[in-house]
Amino acid sequence: MTAFNASRRRFLVGAGAVGTSALLSSCVTQSPAASGGNSGGPVTLQSNLSSPQAKTAMQSIVAAFDKRGGAKAQLNTVASETFRTQLPTYLTSANPPDVYTWYPGSVAESYAKKDLLLGLDDIWAGPELSGYSDALKKLCTSASSGKKVFVPTSYYWWGVFYRKSNFAKWGVKEPKTWDEFLDLCDKLKSKGVAPIGLGAGGDTPWVASTWFDYLNIRVNGATYHRELLAGKHRFDDPEVRKVFDTWDQARPFFDPNGTAIPFQDATTALLQGRTGMMLIGTFFADAAPKDALGDLDFFQFPIIDPKVPVAEEAPTDGYFASARTKRTDETKELLRYLATAEAQELYLKSSSGTTLPTHPDAKDTGTPLVIKGRKLIESAADVTQFFNRDSSDALQPTADTALVHYLAKPKEIGSILTTWQRSAQQIWSQ
Amino acid sequence: MTATRTTAPVSGTDGPARRADEAAPAPAAAPRSPLLRGSALRTTGFHLTAGLLSALWLLPIVLVLVTSTRTFDDIAAHGVGSWPHSFTFDSFRQAWVDGGQQRALINSVLVTVPTVLISLGLASMAAFALSRYDLPFRRVLLLVMLGGNLLPPQILLIPVSKLSEVLGIYDRLYALIGVQVGFGVGFYVFVLHGFMRAIPGEIQQAAVIDGAGPWQIYWRVILPLARPALAALSALSFTWIFNDLLWAITVLRTDSRMPVTASLIGLQGQYVSMWNVIAAGSVIAAAPTVAVFLRFQRHFVAGLNLGAVK
Repeated sequence: MTAFNASRRRFLVGAGAVGTSALLSSCVTQSPAASGGNSGGPVTLQSNLSSPQAKTAMQSIVAAFDKRGGAKAQLNTVASETFRTQLPTYLTSANPPDVYTWYPGSVAESYAKKDLLLGLDDIWAGPELSGYSDALKKLCTSASSGKKVFVPTSYYWWGVFYRKSNFAKWGVKEPKTWDEFLDLCDKLKSKGVAPIGLGAGGDTPWVASTWFDYLNIRVNGATYHRELLAGKHRFDDPEVRKVFDTWDQARPFFDPNGTAIPFQDATTALLQGRTGMMLIGTFFADAAPKDALGDLDFFQFPIIDPKVPVAEEAPTDGYFASARTKRTDETKELLRYLATAEAQELYLKSSSGTTLPTHPDAKDTGTPLVIKGRKLIESAADVTQFFNRDSSDALQPTADTALVHYLAKPKEIGSILTTWQRSAQQIWSQ
Repeated sequence: MTATRTTAPVSGTDGPARRADEAAPAPAAAPRSPLLRGSALRTTGFHLTAGLLSALWLLPIVLVLVTSTRTFDDIAAHGVGSWPHSFTFDSFRQAWVDGGQQRALINSVLVTVPTVLISLGLASMAAFALSRYDLPFRRVLLLVMLGGNLLPPQILLIPVSKLSEVLGIYDRLYALIGVQVGFGVGFYVFVLHGFMRAIPGEIQQAAVIDGAGPWQIYWRVILPLARPALAALSALSFTWIFNDLLWAITVLRTDSRMPVTASLIGLQGQYVSMWNVIAAGSVIAAAPTVAVFLRFQRHFVAGLNLGAVK
C-alpha cells in the first residue's frame, strides 16, 4: 500500500511537470506565427488512413462534405507511423491542423489533460450525436474536464477467425467454452495443423497483447483489466498470474512460428490452412484475397469463467479536434458531418467494409460476417478497446516485450511479470 | 569485365606455387597440363564465387522487382516469398496515381535540385575564401563546420521543427531546402577546401597579375579547376538529399508537399501493407537516383578518394 501511495504521489508530480512543460511550450509557440494563421480557408483533416483503399474512402467523404455547401475541408493523409510520432507536434504547434483521426478513451485523455483538445459538448447535444449509445458517450468524455472531446465514427471487433471450408474439411465446429476450445485445438493438432496462428513477429508484436487482453477480461473481468492498465493493480499480482496459468493450457497449441512472422504472413498461413485459427481484428480481412473473404468466419473468444460478465474487445475509431483551431465553427461542422449516418455509410461503401458504424441508424455492409460481429458487440456486457488504447502507446512496448518473452520462455513467467511491473511503473509514474 | 581483368594477373603470379601443389600427386605427368588445369580451376572457382556473391547481392532487388509485378491477391494467398502466380503493372499505376507518387516525385525534384545548386554554390565560395586567402580564424571555422557534421541530426529534430514554426516557414518546401542546405554546407566546404588547397598558388598569382579580382579568380579560375570535385559532390549530395526522409517529415505535414520518400512510407497502411504497391513505389522512388548514379558513375569513384590524397 505504501508503495502504491508513493507511486501515486510521483505520478502527480510527473503530471504537474508535464503540464508545466506543456504550458511553457504553448507560451513559446504562441509567439509571432500564431497571429499569422490562415483563419478562413478549408478545415484541414489530418488522416493516418494511408492505405490506398482507406485513403480513397476518406477522399470521397471529404468530396461529399464539400459538395453540400458551407464549410470546405481539405484532406491531408500522412503515413500512419509518421502520424503517430508527429501527433504531439501537430497538436502543440501554433497553427495546427484542425481535425485528426485518432482513438477515444485513455489515448485521447492524455491530450485532453493538457488542454489540447477542442471541447465538443455542444455538438454532442445536436441531432447527429444525441442518439449515440451511452457507452460511446462515456468513452468520448474526458475524465479530467468532464467535457466531450471525441467523435466516434466506426469500430471493429476482434474474434477467433477461421476458414469455413477448412473447419468443414477437418470436421470441427466452433467452440463456446474454454474446454471445448482446448478440445478443438487438440483435434487440429492431431491432424498436423498448428491450431492457433499468432503473427507477433516482425513489426507487429502488439498482436500478442490481444491474447492477454482477452484472457484477462475473461478470467478477471473488464473492470479489473482497465484498472490494471491504469496502474491501479500490479502486473505481478496473483490475478495476472492466473491469466498466464490459463494461457499455459493453450500455449502448446500455438504456431511455433507465431512470434517469428508478422500478422500479414500469419494471415496467409491461416488462409493456406497451415494454421487453424487466429485471434485477430477484422482489419486482417484487408490482407486476404477477395475470393477468400466469403470463406472467412469467426467465433467469440471462448468463455472461461461463466461468472465473469462477458466483455468484448471492440476498438473505436474516430476524430478529435485541436483546441487551437482558428476555424472552430467550420471544424464542428465537419465533425457533425462525420457523425452522420450518411458519412459513415459512405466510408463503409468505399473502404473494405469490415468495420461497423457508430451511428445507430447507419447501415453496415450487411455481409454475414459483419452482421455476426455486430451481434457479438451488441450482446456484450462491457467493451474494451485494446491494450494500448486502454492504457497508452508508451505502455504497449512493455507488454510486447513481456509477452514475446513469455511465449519463448514460459517457465520464466515469474521474473517476466516482475520486469513488466517495473517497466510499467516507470511509465505510470511519468 | 573487372573480374577477368583481375583474375589474369592473380593466376599468373600464383602459378608456380600452385603447380607445386598440383604436381604432388602426379609428378611424372606432363608438367604443363596441371598448371593449365589449375589456373582454369581457379578461374572457374573465382567466377563461380563472385557470380554467387553478386547473385546474392542482387536477390533483394530482384525480389522487389518481382513483387512489384504481382497482384495483391496473389501475395495475400501465397505469401511474399512464394513463386509469382500473376503478372501485372497495375501496382505501378496504383503507386503513381492513387499513392500520389507523381506529385511526390515532383516535390523531390523541387527540393533536391535547388538544394544541390545553392549548397554547392555557397560551399564553393566559402571553400574558396578559406583555402585561397589568409583569413583570421579560418582553421577554427573549418573545425566548427566539421564539428557540426559530427553532431547527430536526430538531436536537432525538435529545435528545427519549432524554429521553422516560429519563422513561419513550417510546412513549406523552402523550409526543407533551407534545412538541407544548412546541414549539407559544412561537409561540402570541408571537402572543397581540401581540393582547392591543392590547386597551385601560381595559377592564382598569374590571375592577379592579369588584373583579376577575387570574384573573377573564383568564377573564372578556381571554379573551373574544381569541376571534378563539384561533379562528384553534386552526384553524392543529390542522392543524399533525394533519399532523405527525416527532415522531410520534420518540417512538412501536408501530404501534397511530401517528397517521394515520405510518400513511400505513406503507401503502408495502418494495419495491412500492400507489398506489391510498396515494391512498385520503391522502384519509382529509386529510379532517379539510379539514373544519376549511372550518369555520374565516374565521378562517384572519383568522389571516393577526394579526401584521401591531399
